[in-house]
Order: sequence, then C-alpha cells, then structure tokens
Amino acid sequence: MRTTRRVFLKSAATVAATGLVAPSIIRPAGAQGGTVRIGMVLPVTGPGADAGRFALNGAKIALEAVNKAGGVLGKPMELVTEDDQTTNPGAVLAFSKLASQPDLVAFIGSIRSTQNHAMAPDILKTGKPVAFGGTDPVLTQLGNPWLFRFRPNDSFSARVIAEYGTSTLNKKKWAIIHSTDAFGTSGAKALTEALGKSGATVALDQGYTNQSQDFTPVVLAIRQSGADVIGSYFTFENDLGIFARQLRQLGVQAPWVGSASIVNVTALKLAGPSLYNTFGVADYAEESSDAARNFGKAYRAVMKLAPDNQSSWTFDAVTVLAKAINAAGKTDPKAIREALLAIRGHEGAEGTYNFDQNGDGLHGYNVVRNDKGNIVFDKRIDFYKA
Amino acid sequence: MDLILQLLFTGIGIGAVYALVALGFVLIFRATNVVNFAQGEFSMVAAFLMVVFAVDLQWPYWLSFLIAIGGMAVLGALFNLGVYYPLRHRTYLPVIISTIGASIFLANTTLALYGPQPQVLPPVFETQGFLVGPVFLDTQYLLIIAVTAVLVAFQYWFFEHTLIGKKLQATSQDKEMAALLGIPVAGMIMLTFVYSAVLGGIAGILVAPVLFVSIQMGATIALKAFAATIIGGFGDVTGAIIGGLALGIIETFGAAYISVPYKDAFAFIVLVAFLALRPQGIFGERIAEKA
Amino acid sequence: MTGSPRPVAADPASAPAAPARRFPIGTLAYAVLAAAAIALAATTPFSGYVLNILMQAATYAIAVIGLTVVLGLCGQINLAQAAFFGIGAYAVGLGTVDLGVSFWLCLPVGLVLALLLGAVLGASTLRLGGHYLAMVTISFQQILTLVMINWIPVTHGPDGVPRIQRPGLFSDSQSYLALCVFVLAVVAYAVWRMPKTRLGRAMRAVRDNELAAGVTGIDIYRTKVMAFAIGALLAGLGGGLFAGSFTYISPDQFSFAESVVFLTMALLGGVGSPAGAVIGTGLLILIPEWLRFLKEIPGLYLAIYGLAVILIVVFMPEGIWGFLGDQVKRLRPRKPAPPRAQELTLTQDAASAAPVLEVEGLSKHFGGLKAVDEVSFTVTRGGIHALIGPNGSGKTTTLNVLSGLYTPTGGRVRLNGQDITRFAPHQRAGAGLGRTFQNIRLFRSMSALENVVIGAERPGNGIVAHDRPSLEARARAALAFVGLEARADEPVSSFSYGHQRLIEIARALAGNPVLLLLDEPAAGLNSSEKNALTALLRRMAAKGLTILIIDHDMTLVSDVASHITVLNFGRRIADGVTATVLREPAVIEAYLGQESAEGPAVGLKTDLAPA
Repeated sequence: MRTTRRVFLKSAATVAATGLVAPSIIRPAGAQGGTVRIGMVLPVTGPGADAGRFALNGAKIALEAVNKAGGVLGKPMELVTEDDQTTNPGAVLAFSKLASQPDLVAFIGSIRSTQNHAMAPDILKTGKPVAFGGTDPVLTQLGNPWLFRFRPNDSFSARVIAEYGTSTLNKKKWAIIHSTDAFGTSGAKALTEALGKSGATVALDQGYTNQSQDFTPVVLAIRQSGADVIGSYFTFENDLGIFARQLRQLGVQAPWVGSASIVNVTALKLAGPSLYNTFGVADYAEESSDAARNFGKAYRAVMKLAPDNQSSWTFDAVTVLAKAINAAGKTDPKAIREALLAIRGHEGAEGTYNFDQNGDGLHGYNVVRNDKGNIVFDKRIDFYKA
Repeated sequence: MDLILQLLFTGIGIGAVYALVALGFVLIFRATNVVNFAQGEFSMVAAFLMVVFAVDLQWPYWLSFLIAIGGMAVLGALFNLGVYYPLRHRTYLPVIISTIGASIFLANTTLALYGPQPQVLPPVFETQGFLVGPVFLDTQYLLIIAVTAVLVAFQYWFFEHTLIGKKLQATSQDKEMAALLGIPVAGMIMLTFVYSAVLGGIAGILVAPVLFVSIQMGATIALKAFAATIIGGFGDVTGAIIGGLALGIIETFGAAYISVPYKDAFAFIVLVAFLALRPQGIFGERIAEKA
Repeated sequence: MTGSPRPVAADPASAPAAPARRFPIGTLAYAVLAAAAIALAATTPFSGYVLNILMQAATYAIAVIGLTVVLGLCGQINLAQAAFFGIGAYAVGLGTVDLGVSFWLCLPVGLVLALLLGAVLGASTLRLGGHYLAMVTISFQQILTLVMINWIPVTHGPDGVPRIQRPGLFSDSQSYLALCVFVLAVVAYAVWRMPKTRLGRAMRAVRDNELAAGVTGIDIYRTKVMAFAIGALLAGLGGGLFAGSFTYISPDQFSFAESVVFLTMALLGGVGSPAGAVIGTGLLILIPEWLRFLKEIPGLYLAIYGLAVILIVVFMPEGIWGFLGDQVKRLRPRKPAPPRAQELTLTQDAASAAPVLEVEGLSKHFGGLKAVDEVSFTVTRGGIHALIGPNGSGKTTTLNVLSGLYTPTGGRVRLNGQDITRFAPHQRAGAGLGRTFQNIRLFRSMSALENVVIGAERPGNGIVAHDRPSLEARARAALAFVGLEARADEPVSSFSYGHQRLIEIARALAGNPVLLLLDEPAAGLNSSEKNALTALLRRMAAKGLTILIIDHDMTLVSDVASHITVLNFGRRIADGVTATVLREPAVIEAYLGQESAEGPAVGLKTDLAPA
C-alpha cells in the first residue's frame, strides 16, 4: 500500500508538472503556411458521439475531393477538429480553442441548435464564417452575419411535413409528438403554425423528455385523440425506436410523417419493422438528385455504410466553403462571407444551395418513405423562389 | 378501463426493472452502508457483453448469457478490490465519489472500446407479445416480471435458509461481531459485490431488447432505482421491490393523467413526500440519525 | 492559520493596549496575491479560448467553495449545487434579457433566491442524514432541471437564454474575468477565515460530533440550515457570474451531472479549504482540456478522468490540498510554548437559595421498557451529587433526558428554577447545563484549545466577552485548570484517552456551567489517572461548582460525593447523604445481590470513615 501510494503520487506529480510546463492550451498555434485550415467542432464524447462520427466522415470525404481537385487557392485544405463533449460549455470551449488559432479561415459548427446558440457570441467576436447544421430557425435571425446554415431549417421541415400530410396523404387531424429539447419544441411550434395555415387541426400536441424509457401513455393519448396522422420531432433514435415499437404494439396504424431522425441509419437499425411505411422529411435522400447519388457512392466506397444527413451536411459544408474561398480568391473573412452569400444553384448532397441574406442555404426537404427498411425517395418539396 | 389496465401492465413492467436494479443497491448498501453510484453501469456493461457475443459473434444466446454473467461476476470482484476495498475504513463520502468515478470510467471505457452507436439485442422470444382482451402484453416485460419474481424468491431463500446467506446477513448487521464469530467479513463483502454486479447485469440484459443498448442506458434506470430504494427503505429487499413497482406505476399513471414532460419529476416528488411523511420508508429502518 | 504570536492572555483591564491587534501577515500576503491575480487577469492578453476556460474556472470555483462550507465545514452532502448555480444564472439571464434590468440588480436577486431556496431545502431535509439527504438534494436538482426545460414561457425552455448582458464597466471578457477573479478572491478569503469564526466553529463541531455540539450550546439545526444557505448563496453567486461570462445559458448546464462535477471538484482538491476548491476546479476543468489530444478514441479521456477520480480519492483522502497541507505541517516547526494562562474563574450564583436541579417524576419509556420510571431528586447548590446504580439501572438514560438528547415520557426538570423539560440540548446549554460523555465526544478535527473555545462560547455564558482573545484566554485558563495548558494547540487526536477526558471536562468548565453533568468520568482510566480525577473533582467543587456525577466506581463516588441518589431498574431506591445511603440494605442488595446483604458490606468498601 505504501509503495503503490508513493508510486501513484510520483506519477501524479509528473503528470501535473508536465501539464504546467507544457500548457498547450496557452500556446498559440504556429501558423502553418502550406495549407488552408478549417476548424470543426464536433461531438466525440457524450450522447452525440455517434452523430459526430458521421459528421467527420462526411467532411473527410469532401476534403479529399476538394484536395484531389486542386485544393483551395492552390493549397491543400486541412481540417482541425475539437470535441464539444455534446455539451454547451464544451462547444464554447472547443470553438474558442479553434478560434484562438489565427490561421483558421472558417469553421464548421454543430448540428445541435443549442450548441450554436452557445457559441454564437464567440462566433460574432471571432468574425469568421461558420457553417452549421442546427435547424432552429432563430439561429439565422440573430443578426449574426457569420452563421451559414447547411441544412434546411425547421420552418421548412414543418411546412413540408404539413404539406405532405394534408395534401398528399389528405389527412387533416394531427397528433404532434416532439422532444421537449430545443430541436423538438421549435419543430413542433413550426409544425403547429404550418398546419394552422393549411387548415388542418391539431388533436394532440405532446412533448416528452429525452431518454424516456416508456411511451405507453403517449401512445394511448394518440389513440384517444382520434388523430388520423402523426407528425413527429424526435431527437434521439432510442426514444424513436421505443415509441415506434409501442405505437405498433398498441395498434395505432395512422400514417406517420416524422422529422429527419425517422429515416437515419441508427433509427432504422433500432426500430426495424416498426418503422415500415412511415414517411420522413429528409434533408438528405440518396435518390433525390445526381449530387446526392454521387455523395452516396463516395460515402459507401469509403465507409461501407449507407450515408445519412449527419454526414451529408458536413460534406456540403466543406465543399461549399472551398468553393467560396476559391471564388473570393483570398482568405479574408469578409470576402468569404460575400462569396458564400453569392452562391446560387450549387447542387449539393442535401439539395440546391441558394444562400439568402440570413445565411440559410437550403429551402426545402425531401420526403422519403420506409419501404420494408429501405428508404425510398418520394418527392422533393422546395420553397425557394429566386 | 382497458386504458387503465394497459397502463398498469406497463407500470408494473417498468417497475420490475427498477426493482431489479434496486435489489443490487440494497444488497451493497446493507453490506457496506454505501450507495453504489455505478450500479447502473453494471447493467450497461452486461448488455454490451451480450451484444458482443450474441449479436456480433453470433454465439448461442444461452452461452452468451453465461459469459456475460461470468464477466459481471469478475467485474463485481474487481470493483470491490479497486473502488470499495481501499476505502472501507473511511466515511461514506469518499466511497460515493469513488463509485461516481467508477461509473464515469466504465461508461467511457465502454464508449472507447465499442463506439457510441446504440445497439439492438434481439428479445428472447420471437413473438413481441399478445393481446389479452384489449390489453397488449409485451413478452419481454412478462419475462422481466417473471425473472424479478424468481430472483426475489431466490434471494429470500438464500438469505433466510442457507448458511452463507445468514453469514451475509450477520456481516451486514454488525461487521465487528461477525468477524469475532469467525465469519470472513472481507469475503462476504466480496461476495456481495459479485452478486450485485450479476444482478445488475441480469437487469441490463433483460431490459436491453426494450430500451436498446446504449452507453447512457444504465444512468437513467439507476437514478430511478435509487429513488425506488429510498421509497422502499434501504434496509429491506421487499421494500426495494415494492418501491420499484410503486414508482413504475406512479410514473406511468402520472404521465398519462398529469404530464408527460414532467414524468421524471413524479419519482422525486413522491420521494420527497415520502421522506417528509414517512422517513423510514415503507419497511425500512430509521433514517434520522440516532440520538 | 498564521504563525504570528498569539495575544498574551492577560486581564484586559490590567493591560488594555498590550495585546494590540495581531499583525495579519496571512491576510496581507493573501491580499497581495489576490491583487496580483486580479491584475494578471485584467492585463494579460489571453486568447478567447483561455479567457473562456479561466472564466469558467473562476465562476465554478465560487460554487465549489460553497461546497467547502456545506460539506467541508458542516459535513452535509449537497448534490444540488448545480441547481443553485442555475438559479443565480437564470436570475441574471432572464433579468437582463427579458426584463432589461441591470446586471447589478439581477445578481442580488439571484443570490437571495438561491439563499432562500437553499435555506428551505435545508430546513425541510436536514433532519435526515447521509444518503437520504443526498437523495433529497438529487430530487430537488432533478425537479428544478425539469422546470427549467418545461416552463418555457418563463425560462425559454431548452432553447436557453442567449445574449445575456454583462455590466457596463465589464463588458469585454478581459475585465469581466478580472471581476470574476476579484469575487472569487473575496469569497475564498471569507471562507478561509470562516473556520475561526463562531459560526464556522459551530459548523465544524456539528460535523465532528453532533451530540457534543448540541450539549455545548450549538443549535445544530440552525447551524446546518445556515451552512446550506451559505453554500447555496455561493453557488448562486458563481452561477450569476457564469451567466455573464458565457452570455448564453441553457438547462443542460445545470443538470445533476454538473452537481456531481462540482462535488468531485470539491473532494478532489480537498473539501477542507477554499484553496482545495480552487485547485479541484482548476484541475477538473483543465484535465479534460489537456487530454484533448486523446480525442481520436471517443471516451478515452473521460475514462482516464474517471480513473483519476478513483485514484485520487483512494490515495489522497483529504484531497490534493489536504495532502499538500499534511506535508507542510510535517515540516513546520512546533509553535513556541503558549503564554501562561490565567486562573480559571467560575461564578456561582451563591445568593440564590433555590436548588440547582429539581427532577420530578421523570420517566423515559422505550416501547414497553421503562428505562427511567418516575424518578425524582433534587441537586442542591454547591458540591458533588452522585447518581449511581448497577448496570442497566437507567443512569445514563436519566442523564440523556436531563441534557435533552431524549425527550422524557413524563415528568418535569427545572434548572435554577426554570422549567427546561421541553428544551432542546443547546437551549439547556444556554440555560447553564454542561456535560461530558462516557464515551468521549470531542471535536476530532480541532485542537484542544478550539474544543474548549467552543465550550467557552456557550450562549448565556456571561463570564467572558465573546471576542476571540477573551475566549481563547478563558479556554487556556480552563485547560490550565485540568493541567493541559502546555499542549493547548495540539490536535485532540494526539492526546491519550485520559487526557481527552480532561479536555472534555475543560470544555464544559470553560462554559461556566450552572450544573455540570459528568457521565462516568472514571471509565477507562487507570488508578493514577483516577486519583488525579478525584483531586480535580474536589478542586472543581471547591470553586463552588455544582456537579452531578454518575459512575460505577464506588471509591471515587464515596470519596467526592456529598449526596447520592441510587437507581435500580429505572426506579429510585435511595437518596440522601453519602454515608447513610451506602449503608442502606436496599443499595447493598442492588449492588451485591441477595446473599451478601446479610453479611458485612465487604463489597462496598469505601474510604469513608464512620461519621
């Protein structure tokens, strides 16, 4: 006991000393002149770690393509990543760590809206373009000129869900199920608005807390409400999976149009047959366009896995950032910003990018159907007016 | 009426899960006077072991189960040696922190080894369930309820009717006295940890087909099970079972008739009410420190 | 905490100006260090990343220091620190964003809210101990998190509160960091000095030994609620500053997981001192940052972090600061011998003719067992009264009822004519009741002197001014009276069993009690120690003190007591002047059994000469 204690203390002291002598956090990163560097904040630990892996894969594939095509400004492009631990303070620290490296010219932010909210003040201070994937509509309305969204925001997903359900499926009595987190509440709010405009009624608006172990009360409430169609915003796939199974077990057969998570790979694996014949609005659908097909091919070639929206948006972000920097002809943040805002008709994996003055690049969604576990493209609904 | 029956079944099913995890809490608490904050991680690790052997390696279910349970026994022993034993003479606080550290360690080691993807463990039975009148009975929940009942019966028999069970009881009641009587106290505590880890493991394997296998699966259940333990009283196995079932039922009905988003609050509101009105739990010993 | 010389314990009247205020070297050094830290924070050009880390560390540290108070000083677990942190943060966030109120107004509102909620939570649950308290605080934490998430019209729900306003003067991060460091320095100083204040001593006493704290006059319940409220207040303060530093808050930052992080920070650094809190906070924020290079394998660095927590708890039980402190203490030379102590004065209200203690029909039943059954006796002023009886006769139960540890089933107790039957232990102490315990109950983490100072601090002790020099002088006098003044500054754990008993007696004497209850003071003493005790008791009685003693040792009892009450099976079987009582057949029988009662009283051999 005595010796182990001493050994431990000694090694602890060594570790502490190393930390003190070489505080890597305070040392500014040396400027590497040979590459154009882009920072990326992504979850490597915590509940979002899964999504983080997909995001990184998408970005890496784009990076390779960019560099194969000659890089940016004649130099290879490089990706610098930091873990946001799936928490807000983690995201702020990760971003500010990246932002303290002056040679990073642009950033890829988070797919989570709250993390982007948390980072927003630092983004404003840093004054460099940040491509992000969070879908809370408010983010691009903050008046922060450096935020560029690479996924369609929730006002579009809600409009697409409402449009598809009321026009195509011809169902007017809705049950809305949503997570009570930022993503779920803002989605549900937008869906309620969109349904109101299209003359449908909301029979049930039911929130749930993430990581619920049981949805029986929710399913029974749907059954009792008499709704003939379900619209949903689920954040985590395991919640979605439990809900889907209990929905079918308790005999609810109403059609179900869900937000993107209903068609992602993990959800399909977890829920299996319970999700057959559901509809999802997907920002990424492999059959929706040539660009999407090409991305799918490239992704499968590298990852041996079907791609989904968590990788497609980072793919687009890296591709479009490279394009904008090349168009700007320099790495000056203002010039890159102008170049991003000028992008029109860029065919990305997620759809056609037309940036508006808020920084929203996409304005529509794909509707896809789960056909016995295969995701089949149904139609694209786009609200962009040039 | 069918609504109420359906909710009742679900409540009992969820409650049985809490009860199973609560059993592990109570055993360790009785033997060491310490709450093991890593109890939920036992469930998580066992579920992942099952995924590795039964799903990834496609080994037979029963063999995978035996390996997973064996693995849990080893983990329980290592846990005792590394996390509890060095601190056995200290107050409960450092031990709590140590078990919290262990829970962070186990969760993230699993993450590092297996990656973050949630996994599926197929249920034991092919049929998902069947309808009895208007009520749908999920076979996996039926299995959970049955196993919980069997384990409770086993535990009763073990503690009341075997010598080793009585020695365990003696140890938990008075360690010094037990030592004077020649009972190997350290061995008994080791046995408790091994058995608790196995219990937690069984709980994890049973709920895996229902709740899926993820790094976070243990933490939420454990917190609820902890609440169940308090409602039932720390001193008593029966109390833990009833506390677990009560909590499952209250939660399910609360969600159905009061609020879904506040579902998790019911457990804690009931708990606080219990502590205020009946601090000794349903069955348990006195809480307020003795004069 | 400082090495400066202690004041000469002289009579304040004879040497009014002599023990001038001690030169506060420690305080001065601290002020210089703190000023340097604030200046550094204000002027060093940090990158945004470092600023964020430092602001997070400073604000978290304030909340962790709150745990130093609750957990370190008072020994109460609180797993809701992040909830209180959140209350402060939301007060600032919602106040500045939604109501447009100044930061300087929002912050105090948050503090008051945290303080009140802390006090309420404390008041409603502190009668519970250990794990149950842990669970209630967890419940509070969970419910508050759910409210933050779901009460969307007020809290903005999970979206959180963006664009929080900093105060005008501190709108840039650099100066805001300086503000945070300043507040941290002030808070750390206050908590650093706290153990030496009356409240701080009371908290430590409660932590070390609740029963002893009660009978020395400390209101245990109030002390715990105060500790809880102060802890919550500091968490609210940290949270309010945190809201300003990141200018965005959301419910997930104030979850149970964060409370666990706070607790780990406190224990890791060392829960006994604010320095430990700062070290623990700094490390736990920095370690994950240092380990970022391991990010390629998800989870690895958090796994290492978990392992580090276990190792530190196992190998550094008092935390890092406690460990360092032990090393320093080992090197530090012994303090010079303390100054000579005064003569101990005990004022007795000799003018009053009323008996000191009147016990009437006192009963205490445990279920069907009548441990004390209708016992009555009176203790007259001055001298030593003994309460004796065989094992299980109800002596100690009687004593526990008298000092308020048990509530009586029936009967009445009057001290100095005042009915104290329904008084709590600390109220009885306030009325002038002092006691010692059979199994010694000292405050184990304190020095002998500190133990006795707490005794001197007894509420209602009018003989001494309640300022530090007077209290210490009185404590030294009491220690001198029992012969231990030379070792006053040593921790009580370094004393022998017999000496610990003397410290306990000194603690009671320092409070200048009206009546001193001694619970088997001779138990566990060897014969020379017993002789010394006998002499000590005589000297105490000679000072006019009234003593009620219970003991088995008939030699001791017959030596010192002038009056004896005998109990058997919970009932009084004899009462009167010592020599008479010891000859009563009922007493002899109770002690020696039936047969011996017929022969000469061999067993009750005493030194008492036939009167």
